[in-house]
Amino acid sequence: MAFEDNNEGIESYVNKNVSQTGIGIANLPNQLHKIVTKKGTDFSIILVGESGTGKTTFVNTLFTTELITPLDDSTRRKKQCDKTVDINIHKAELEEKNFNVKLNVIDTPGFGDYVDNNDCWHPIVDFIENQYEQYLRQEQQPVRKGLVDMRVHACLYFIRPNGHSLKPLDVRAMKAIGAICNLIPVISKADSMSPTSLKLFKKRILDTINAQNIRIYTPPVESEDESVTSRNRDIVSAMPFAVIGSSTEVVAPDGRVVKGRKYPWGIAEVENDEHCDFKKLRSLLIRSHMLDLINSTEESHYDAYRTAQMKVRKFGEAKPKATDNKVFKDEEEALRKRFTEKVRLEENRFRQWESKLIAERDRLNKDLEAEHNLVKQLEAEIEAVQTSSPGNRFNRK
Amino acid sequence: MLVGVSGLGRRTFVNTLCEREVIPPPVAEDPEMAHMVEPMKFNKYETQMIEDGTNIFLTTVDTPGYGDGIDNYSCFTQLQEYIESQFDEVLLEESRIRRNSKYKDNRVHVLLYFLTPTGHGLRELDIEAIKRLGHFVNIILLIGRADTFTTDEIALFKLQVMKDVMTYELPIYNFGWDDESDPETLEENQEIQAIVPFSIVGCDEVVDGDYGSIRVRRYPWGTVEIDNDDMSDFGLLRYILLNSHISDFIDYTNNVLYEEYRTQKLNENKDDESEEEKEEDDEE
Repeated sequence: MAFEDNNEGIESYVNKNVSQTGIGIANLPNQLHKIVTKKGTDFSIILVGESGTGKTTFVNTLFTTELITPLDDSTRRKKQCDKTVDINIHKAELEEKNFNVKLNVIDTPGFGDYVDNNDCWHPIVDFIENQYEQYLRQEQQPVRKGLVDMRVHACLYFIRPNGHSLKPLDVRAMKAIGAICNLIPVISKADSMSPTSLKLFKKRILDTINAQNIRIYTPPVESEDESVTSRNRDIVSAMPFAVIGSSTEVVAPDGRVVKGRKYPWGIAEVENDEHCDFKKLRSLLIRSHMLDLINSTEESHYDAYRTAQMKVRKFGEAKPKATDNKVFKDEEEALRKRFTEKVRLEENRFRQWESKLIAERDRLNKDLEAEHNLVKQLEAEIEAVQTSSPGNRFNRK
Repeated sequence: MLVGVSGLGRRTFVNTLCEREVIPPPVAEDPEMAHMVEPMKFNKYETQMIEDGTNIFLTTVDTPGYGDGIDNYSCFTQLQEYIESQFDEVLLEESRIRRNSKYKDNRVHVLLYFLTPTGHGLRELDIEAIKRLGHFVNIILLIGRADTFTTDEIALFKLQVMKDVMTYELPIYNFGWDDESDPETLEENQEIQAIVPFSIVGCDEVVDGDYGSIRVRRYPWGTVEIDNDDMSDFGLLRYILLNSHISDFIDYTNNVLYEEYRTQKLNENKDDESEEEKEEDDEE
């Protein structure tokens, strides 16, 4: 009992100290605020989706500045013959109220655009894992200042509204990407679906995601503030987000100037919650959950990668590279074929040469033998002549 | 025949065209199987319509599953085989001694190719398909779900598509193929050619308008009228398909495309036969 008394005593002692004197621990968040504001942060997002799903427009609308310039026709046609998925990194530095963000937007032209789209998500998965790898290596360096952190914090997967459900390509790609990165599915060009079909489409997508065990990003809902919790709940219930992108401003019938798309039959507004979920997605990406995206990338995804790698590799060892880029494989095959072809030709040539030489040698040998026989014959004749005329001693000299 | 990736409104288009439900709604896919690629199917639907006093027996072949897989090369070969098999049947029938008087001609007269409204011209899938099929069937390009585009974007997209058609020399149906027709028709055809590809919006519901019931598609920001020529080319396409150019399509298929195929097939047979004779000669 005396023991318990002691415990209680210490508890009350601790509480009293803080509430009465206030040593200034409460000021820590302010200090942190100053430090973070000065340091700024890195934020990287990767856009994945077929061409024409509105990725470029969406990004330009989200950050209200033309980060990515759309391709022109001739570049596009060249790309069509390319049959590869490119990784294009667009860097920008955004500043708002003295807070700096080093933004990296990664575009993936060529994804899902070709007739044969097998493994088209591999370059993307490789890229994301490479960023983890780079960060891992940099962490292991003796000098760790000036770390370049290109780890991808969010992947926006643009789904084309086909009115039914996810395509097999979408399912496989999302499975692969969602396992290593925060995956946020987005329904693009939502202005081509009526509200009822959109609801049905969203439900089907969620059903498929659950059935196929695709891991998507779910923001934390509960928070101390009741209004924040309800807002979070709104956001989560609207997933996957249906967005419209537009960087042009149009005049609505009631006189407002809004960002939107002007049709002959009306104006679809970007920032109107009844028309699309753009505001909710923007809130998720920037206003409310950017920090959570960054943290979850660093804490769960990167950590999982790091643990897995460290189990199999020694400290400081390089990662075994898997070269399974299809185009390179094809080129390698072609080169190898040419090489073996050349080697075969040369070997043939040498063999022919060899047989020619052997033939030549045989011929010469034959001639030699013929001569030899001739000589023998003559010798024999001489002997014969000598033995037939014994008196002729002249020849023996 | 309707060809296009899923979600472009093929089914809705046919139902709107015939003003009744010809193609039933698709069976909802099982989410557990969503990662499996469904093979392409050829579904035939037959319906009868009266257009401007003429009785039309319309056979629609729908191709769900086209372009929906991960590797779509087999889609082209399947389409080509289907169309060629119809030609082969006719070829066989023609060479019979006693012809079946009730023989039904199953040749495909028009292939409506639905383009995806990407905003960036043709995709590799479209180019390859048209290249291979344009010599066997009349291909008409349509823009499915054209209500994704604003008026400016439609004009730009149409321009991009036609530029691509010229760059890759794609064999689509040329409305002005008959040079011998009168100048009025020729001019009309040239005008039509300038509207290709046709922008199509499918109809969800019928509402009461000022002048009776109109077919519409409703959005929170406005309503699209299907039969309004400012909003979509559906009315024009319907008129061309079932009224003004229906005989042109059939003529072109029977007299030009089929004849080319027949000539090529018979030449092949002749080559095979002469090769067989040569082999026999060699053996002797």
